[in-house]
Amino acid sequence: MALMPKRVKFRKSQRGKIKGNASRGNTVAYGEYGLQSLDGGWLSAEVIEAGRITASHATRGEGKLFIRIFPHKSVTSIPLETRMGKGKGEPEFWAAVVKPGMLLYELGGVSEAAAKDALAKVAYKMPFRCRFVTRLPAVG
Amino acid sequence: MLVNTILKVDARTELGKKRVSRLRKGGKVPGVLYGHGQDPLSLVFDKKEFSTLLMGGTRVVDLARGNEVEKAVIRDVQFDHLGMEILHVDFARVSADERITVDVPVDVRGISPGVTSGGILEHLLHSLHVECLASAVPERIRLRVDELQKGQSIKVKDLKLPEGVRVVNDSEAVVVHIIEPKAAVVAVPAEGGTAEPEMVAKKKPVEDKKED
Repeated sequence: MALMPKRVKFRKSQRGKIKGNASRGNTVAYGEYGLQSLDGGWLSAEVIEAGRITASHATRGEGKLFIRIFPHKSVTSIPLETRMGKGKGEPEFWAAVVKPGMLLYELGGVSEAAAKDALAKVAYKMPFRCRFVTRLPAVG
Repeated sequence: MLVNTILKVDARTELGKKRVSRLRKGGKVPGVLYGHGQDPLSLVFDKKEFSTLLMGGTRVVDLARGNEVEKAVIRDVQFDHLGMEILHVDFARVSADERITVDVPVDVRGISPGVTSGGILEHLLHSLHVECLASAVPERIRLRVDELQKGQSIKVKDLKLPEGVRVVNDSEAVVVHIIEPKAAVVAVPAEGGTAEPEMVAKKKPVEDKKED
C-alpha cells in the first residue's frame, strides 16, 4: 500500500510553490549512501513505493533502505468532461514536495557498488534528475 | 595518520556576499579563525588543497600564513545544498598539548557471520565524539565485525581506542548491530477507489453557560 498520512486536518490542500533549495534533509543521515534529487517537484506516493520495490529487488533483501520523504500533500483533480466551476475536485493522490538537494532514499549495510547499482535503478523511476551521494565527512 | 597537515592560508580582506562568491568562483574558500581569546581572523585558502585534507580525514591542520604557523581544528564546514561545494570553513585555534573534542568517523571492516547467515548489519553511530590531544587526533576508529552474530551488537564501551583517546558519547550506545530482516510488505490495492485518511475531529465551540 502506498504511503499516506493516517490523520489529516484538511482533506484538500492548496498547490503551493516550491521555492529555493533544500536546507534540511539534504545530507545522508541514516544509511551510508543516498539518492539526492537535483530538481524540485511533486513525488507521488505510488512513485515512492515503486522506488522502494525497485531498491529491495536490486539489493535482494540485503541492507536497509530508508525512505527520507513522505507524501503529506493531497493532490486533487476534476473528472473528465466536467464543466468548470462547482468547486475544487476530489483528492486523487498523495505527493511529497521535493526541493532540489533533498535526499529521497538512503541505503545502509551494503557495499558501495551494490548501493550504486540499486540506486541507479531507483533513479530511473524518478521523475527528476538524481545523483548518488555518500556521507559528508564528520566535522565538529 | 596523515603526515602533511599544512594548509597555506592568507588573511582575507574581501568581505561580503559578492566579493566572497567571486573568491569561490576563482577556486578559493573563505574561512575564519578564532579562539584562545584572540581576535577572529578572516582567511582565504585553496579549495583543492583543503578538500584533499578534509577527505583524507585530517581534523587538526597547521595554518601557514607567511612565516607564521598556527595549529587549528576544523570546527565547521558549510556545504551548498547539494553537498558538492565548500562554502565556508570555521577553524578554532588549538595548541598541541591541549585536549580537544572532535568527531571521528567509525570505519566498519570485515564480513560478519551474522550477515552471511541472512542478517542485516545496521550501522547506528557513524561518528564518535572523542576527547584527545590536539596532536594525536585519530583519523578514524576501526571496528572489526568478523565475529558478530545475529542479534549481537557492539557498544561504545566495547571499542578498542588508541591511547589517550576518550569517547564522550554514552558508553551504552550501540555502534553496530545485526538484525533479522523484516518480512517484505505486500502491497494490497485499496477496495473501492483511493483510501482516505482519517479526519482530525473539529472541536465544537464551547457554549457559554453564563447565568445572568
